[in-house]
Amino acid sequence: MVASDAVAKNAAKPIRAVGGFFSMTLDTFVLMFKPPFAWREFILQSWFVARVAIVPTLMLTIPYTVLLTFTFNILLTEFGAADFSGTGAALGTVSQIGPIVTVLVIAGAGATAMCADLGARTIREELDALRVMGVNPIQTLVVPRVLAATLVSLALSATVVLVGLTGAYLFCVYVQHVSPGAFVSGLTLVTGPADVVIALVKAALFGLTAGLIACYKGISVGGGPAGVGNAVNETVVFTFMALFAINVVATAVGVKATM
Amino acid sequence: MSGGTASHRLKRTVDGWVHSWNQIGVQTQFMGKTLRSIGDVFLNYRVELIRLIAQMGLGTGALAIVGGTVAIVGFLTLSTGALVAVQGYNQFSEIGVEALTGFASAFFNVRLIAPATTAIALSATIGAGATAQLGAMRINEEIDALEVIGIRSISYLASTRVIAGVIVVIPLYCVGVLMSFWAAKLGTTAIYGQSSGVYDHYFDTFLNPVDLIWSFVQSIAMAIVIMLVHTYYGFSASGGPAGVGEAVGRAVRTSLVISAFVVVVISLAVYGQSGNFNLAG
Repeated sequence: MVASDAVAKNAAKPIRAVGGFFSMTLDTFVLMFKPPFAWREFILQSWFVARVAIVPTLMLTIPYTVLLTFTFNILLTEFGAADFSGTGAALGTVSQIGPIVTVLVIAGAGATAMCADLGARTIREELDALRVMGVNPIQTLVVPRVLAATLVSLALSATVVLVGLTGAYLFCVYVQHVSPGAFVSGLTLVTGPADVVIALVKAALFGLTAGLIACYKGISVGGGPAGVGNAVNETVVFTFMALFAINVVATAVGVKATM
Repeated sequence: MSGGTASHRLKRTVDGWVHSWNQIGVQTQFMGKTLRSIGDVFLNYRVELIRLIAQMGLGTGALAIVGGTVAIVGFLTLSTGALVAVQGYNQFSEIGVEALTGFASAFFNVRLIAPATTAIALSATIGAGATAQLGAMRINEEIDALEVIGIRSISYLASTRVIAGVIVVIPLYCVGVLMSFWAAKLGTTAIYGQSSGVYDHYFDTFLNPVDLIWSFVQSIAMAIVIMLVHTYYGFSASGGPAGVGEAVGRAVRTSLVISAFVVVVISLAVYGQSGNFNLAG
């Protein structure tokens, strides 16, 4: 009897978590348009996420673009088409490296920091205190965080593309001796404004999803020091999984749309 | 008055530099000690090592419910492999050579996508898990208790995790590479409708076994670096429950950056001179 109860409880746990996540998401979207909007928290959180994310962004973009242009140039040199390395760099940076690095940074840096911060508040029972005072924590804490993650993610993806293209330019021109004019004129050969718009839409979706997952894991923390650590760990795993899946779908849709 | 605050600020800045410089030293010392104690693990802590290998393969808590580390690595490489199909097939068909998607899978999956994705998955799953566990142990003063009862905490907790990470990454990487190959093939043949004979021909022609071995070396090197970084941040966690969470976040950030650099350095070292690639076969 007791054993079967425990089994039922364990089996219901993931379903309960998914349900909790969706109900929080719904609350967040409803409360997003209900005044008063927590401007102060929104600005503070945007600054917070941007601050933890900017260094990892630069440090991840540069190696990944170098790696991509390097691998792509091996191929192009073999074809005898090294002058088109700008085309490869633009295609790779805008359509793949940009979104992937944004995913890594927003999930690995932004969401972890956000979840750790919210989780610590939950452990200290600050959220319960807010509820007692009649303040809805979803409206004052979750909504500004989710919007801040979306905004910063958008800004980051633009940064990634700019830094990536600059890095690729320096690497191709000074290390691999591609002519600078050919590199620049090749940039827009297959990559147009539509691709840039898709990259930005992807980034906004990533920020939104990562913010929602981080906030849900943060406000549902339990079980002392190990609990917060595990919540952050689960945040990383779940955001990576969700964002990689979104990336594949969004890429497929985007490719169809630009054809 | 302004002179007073200026000198105060200067002192604080210099103190910050000194602190971060010392931090690098402490970190290096910890990693050196962890690597040096590896022999110790095989002599004294074999049981703990085997327990950790089992735990890392399956994952703990909520991660075990979604299928453990294997499922997560498989899922992530599956989705990046599918990207090869989506992006590669469509881009190639624009210039009429969509037959070469098999080549893109054999070339980019092995050299770039599988090692990079596996590094990300490792740092998110077993790496962040190790930081969370060790951080909680540090906060609950369990690590000090280990030292008191005469167990060498670094070899018992950190070195065992580094070795377990290296052992676990070998099957995980096999799963990752296979998943990325399957996803690219399935996407190209089943969804975009290329004949599987065409795909297999170009895939088999351009799959270079030496590249695969190098990408294995890459992933093992990354596993070592990732586990070293994550165990260090777990060991040095401080500041209560919030501190453990922050340590996990900082460890993930650091190990993502460092593993990206490891991939680049090894790739440039291996393929830098010749490219190790012949289109003509």
